[in-house]
This record gives sequence, C-alpha cells and structure tokens, in this order.
Amino acid sequence: MTTLIDPPTVGGARGSGPTQGRSSAGSPAGSGSRSGSSAASRGRSSRGDVGWRRRLARLTPATIISRLVLGVLLVGYAIISLYPFAWMVSAAFKTQQEVVMGTSLIPEQPTFATLAETWNRLEFFNFFFNSLKVTVGTTLGVVVVYSLAAYAFAVLRFPFKQWLFRAFLVLLFVPGVVTLLPIVLLEDKMGILGTHFGLVLPFVNGTAPLAILLLTNAFKAVPGELRDAARVDGAGEPRIFWRVYAPLARPALITIALLTAIPTWSEYQLSRVSLTNEAAFTLPIALQNLNSTNVVQYNVLMAGALIVVIPVVILFLATQRYFVNGMIGAVKG
Amino acid sequence: MSATTLTDRERAADSATRSRGSAAGQGHHGSHRDNEAHQGKRQRGAASQSGTRGQRRREAAWGYAFVAPAIVLFCVMGAYTLFFGLEVSFAQWNGLTPTWKWVGFKNYLDLLGGSPLYSPEVRQAALNTVIVMVVVPIATVCIAFPLAIILNQVKRLSGVFRSVYFIPYVTTGVAVYMAWKYVLEPDGAFNALLTMFGLGSLSQPQGWLGNPDTALGTLIVIMVWSAVPVAMLLYLTGLQSIDGAVLEAAKIDGAGWWRTNVSIIRPLLAGTTAIIVLLNVRDGLQGFQIFLLMTNGAPAGRTNVLGLEVYDLAFQKLLAPTLGLSSALGWLLFIAALVVAFINQKVTKER
Repeated sequence: MTTLIDPPTVGGARGSGPTQGRSSAGSPAGSGSRSGSSAASRGRSSRGDVGWRRRLARLTPATIISRLVLGVLLVGYAIISLYPFAWMVSAAFKTQQEVVMGTSLIPEQPTFATLAETWNRLEFFNFFFNSLKVTVGTTLGVVVVYSLAAYAFAVLRFPFKQWLFRAFLVLLFVPGVVTLLPIVLLEDKMGILGTHFGLVLPFVNGTAPLAILLLTNAFKAVPGELRDAARVDGAGEPRIFWRVYAPLARPALITIALLTAIPTWSEYQLSRVSLTNEAAFTLPIALQNLNSTNVVQYNVLMAGALIVVIPVVILFLATQRYFVNGMIGAVKG
Repeated sequence: MSATTLTDRERAADSATRSRGSAAGQGHHGSHRDNEAHQGKRQRGAASQSGTRGQRRREAAWGYAFVAPAIVLFCVMGAYTLFFGLEVSFAQWNGLTPTWKWVGFKNYLDLLGGSPLYSPEVRQAALNTVIVMVVVPIATVCIAFPLAIILNQVKRLSGVFRSVYFIPYVTTGVAVYMAWKYVLEPDGAFNALLTMFGLGSLSQPQGWLGNPDTALGTLIVIMVWSAVPVAMLLYLTGLQSIDGAVLEAAKIDGAGWWRTNVSIIRPLLAGTTAIIVLLNVRDGLQGFQIFLLMTNGAPAGRTNVLGLEVYDLAFQKLLAPTLGLSSALGWLLFIAALVVAFINQKVTKER
C-alpha cells in the first residue's frame, strides 16, 4: 500500500527480499540519498507540525507558480496517458447511433446494452475464457518449469551448467518473428496447431530467458546456510527447493508470473497464425476479427477492447509493487 | 569436520565475489561475475573432491533432473525452430509442397538488392525501420527524463501519477491500438480536438493513418507513448540512487534547479539513458505488432518495417514461394540484434 503514496519505494530495494539480489548492494546509498535530496529540495525541517507551518509561511509567489507549473505538467501527461482509454470507455457506453453522430466524450445516454451484447451475442464470454485458459496455462508452466531450472542453476553443481545457462540467454536476442514460421510448421506436424496447448508451449519457452535470469538471481540471494541446515536435517533437493527456496523467493515468483501473464493476455502474432477455428479464438484475435469482418461499429469494438483491457489494468493496479520491481530486475539482467 | 569448515570458508569466498560483482556494476556485469563464481567453484570442487564423490554425483543428477523440463522445451521450441529457420533460409519453398529447392545464398542476395521484385520493398521497410530505431529512443528519452525529474520532486500523489503513466505500457496490444485507430479516424476525436482549438487546418481529412505523409509519424508517436513508462521508471530508480551529498554540494555552490538537473543529474544518469536507448533500439529493430495491427504497411508500404516484412513473406503471401526469403530476413534481423546486444555490453562495461 505504501507504494501508492511513497515515491522512494519505486526502487523497491527495501522489503522486497530476494528479488533484488543484485541491486541490494545499492540500497543503503539509495535510502541515504533520499533523505539528502528531500532535505535539499524542501528545506531542512520536513518533519512535524512546526516544519509544516514554516513551510507554509515560506510559500512565496515564485514557489507557488513553480508548483503550479509542475502540477499542470504532471496532470497533462496523465491526460495524454489516458487519452485513448477515455474514448474507449466513452464509445463502449454509447449506442450505435450516438457513436456515429457525436464526438462528445461523455455519452448523452450511457448504456450497458453494447457491453452486454458484446459479452453475450458476440461470445466474448467464450473468448475471455479461452484467453484465461492460455494465460493461466502459460503462467503456471513458466513458474513451474523455470523455478526448477533456476534452482539448479543457482544452487546445484553439475557439469556444463554455465553452457546451458548461456544457451538460454542467447534466446533473448532471437526476434520472435524468426521462430514463428518454424513453430507453425512443427506444430502442424505434431498435430497441436490451433490448440491452446500449441500456444502455451512456445509462450512458455519464449519467457525462458527472462524467467531464468530473474529466478536464478532470486535463488542465489537465499543464504546457503539454510540449505546446509536443511541437508543436515536430512532433506533432499526437492524438499529443500519446495520448503526453503520457493517460499523465500516468493516475491520473485509472483513477479515472473505477472511479467508472463500480462503480455500473454495480449499476445497476437502467433495466435493469429495458429488459431483457425473461431471457437478457439483468444480475445485479441476475436477483437481483430470484429474489426475486419463487418463495417466497423466502434461502440461494439471499443466494448470488446474494454473487455480485453480491464483485467490487465486491475491485475496491474493490484500487484504493481511486484510488477515495478520486476521491470527493473528484467532490464538490469 | 574438515568438510564443514571447508564449505563455510567457500561460502564466505563465494559471497565475497558476489558482493564485489554487484557493487562494481549494479548487475550489468552478469557474465563477468558468473565467470568469477564459476572459477571459485572449480577450485572448491578440487579441494573437496575426496570423500564426497557420491554426494556430488547425486547433486549433479538432481541438477540435470531440475533443468530437464526446461531443456526439453528449449530443444523443441527454441533450438529446433531456430535451426529449421536457418535451413529454410537457403531454400525456395511455399510451405505446401513436400520438398523444397535449395538455392544457396540467393535469398540473402535477393534481400540485399538482387531481386527487382522484393528488394525495393525491403529497402523501403529498412528505411522505415531505421527511422523508427532513431526517432523512438530519442523522443522517449526527451519525454521520460523530465517527467521522471518532475515526478521525483512531488511528494503527494506521485504513486498515483506513476500508476497512471504506466497504463499505456501494461495494456499494449490490440485493444489499445484499436482505441488509437478510433481516435485517429477522419471524423475521430483527435481531428475534432484540433478543430476545437482552432487548429482545424492541421486536421487530417484522410485520417492520420490514411495520409502517407503522417502515417509513420503517427505510429512513432504511439510507440513513444507506450515506451515512456518503462524509461520513466528506470530514470526514477536512477534518481533515487544519486548520492544526496552531490546535490547538497551543488546547492552550496549556488546551482539552481535547472542547472542541477542539466549539469549534474543528467550526466550521472548517462548509464540509464544508454540502457533505455538500447532497449528501444532493439524493440525498433524487432517489434512490428503495432504496424501489423494498425496499418499492415499501408498506405503503399509507407509504414512497412523489416519485422512486418518477415511476417508478410511468411504468412501473407499465400502460394508464392517466399518462406526462404522470410527466414533469411529473419536471420539477418537476429544477427543485427546480436550486434546491438554486443554494443550494449561494450557501452555498459565502459561505464
């Protein structure tokens, strides 16, 4: 909750535990600088009632103006960020007639009919379920497969470990479009083209470099003494992994789950070329299909878009602490 | 007894290397550090070899068991597909006939200028890709850096602003592109907005994506709009790691707000800028989803990019034998991405 209010937790170095394996060294300096910079910018006495009053007294016209300018800039960019979404929501609540006629942002007679119709008659309920299936499948696959692999890379000793690790990292540089065609041909041969399983497999593999990088760092940050202690108590590797490492690396596991789920929910390219049966369509494909089949009805299209976007926005807002940490970890890796 | 003391000492050594690595380079020296750790392990292995061979063998067996699912998936979906693509890039094939015709390096030569049918198309796409690769990173930095500085100075509501700014990034995909298309229609909201502010002469009667002169620029603006959030986040993180004493010193020396930001903070965050630029260069090189969904190269190839060209040659040419061409172009992109990655490493190491 503090993340919503307190800017310095962006770095997340504090309290995020093993996720920040690499950057944790910078954390003390970071928090130190924070108090320093805030002191520099806001005067020395920032705590308590007295400081607050003194600050109020020092509000010269110049500071008021500069704050006003900053506020306008911040709000301005917030408006730019939300601009297309505002129109998406607006159109989704308009009737067909109004969306053609007017260009007013606020619908004159807001209606739920468009959303309801999109959800029911256009079977967006179905597509939503398909998307959910693919996303959950991919996310589970990534978490299970790569937490196991990352545990081995981080903790266990075995020949060719570094070679294997590097092989996975090279995948990071393969443009997705290069493997698209071979995957389609291969899956056609295997008979899984067009199934949801056929989407999950390449999606899971596509997340490999990121997942291995993040999770290996997280597991490396777990103190080795814990493993030794568990071994003395007679625990085998699976038990140590499950009982010691997985719980301690939970923030990293949640992070990688999010970083997998959000792009998978919106994935388009591979789904487009492999899903041919309409009953198997995921939301992005259904939406694009809606766009290309008949004369574009923007209220219906935007209702569909809203159905696609809302789960992602809710998921992001609910878990943004993990998400933000993960973005930083992913880039640094 | 001796075994336990050894492991303790090893562990201390290992953690020492680790902290050294992370202190030195904030984690950018990944491979370097791994090397160190690896060497440390080798020495250790030699030291503790006697007596624990069975144990080590068991550990190795567990190691392979744990990575096995990942490796199997990697071999099938990663390595196999990659090399199959390489094989096809030396052939002429439409994907339907049971056999293909080997043509050697012809596909590569065709792409690089040998084919009157495809090379003009590729050249246009390459030009657009280069424009995207140059403009998007620069514009992203120019917006994200001031935004992060402003956001970093605000105490209240800054978390709310940050969340709002992040929404374009997390929602990237079909839905948002549709919304942009809707807004940019000939009688859409954006033209209406311009007219409202008395800038009606700037509005686009063909729609912003329909006019060949504005289509690419419009897409670039949307790409920047999606790229700013991550860049802003990285700058924010960088800003919080700047030593307060430096800023204090600047203040004592009489540097104002503007001067501090331009002459002190900007150079201190040069490393962050390098990362942001390279991330966006890579995305510009490989990404094509927005082009596929919003214009599919129209009007007249003016928004075609290399990634889209690969996709187009593979999936949108139906019966023409262009799969080899597609794979060859894909591999050229792969090589270009490796070059970018190499430069990335050089730049971050020099820091």
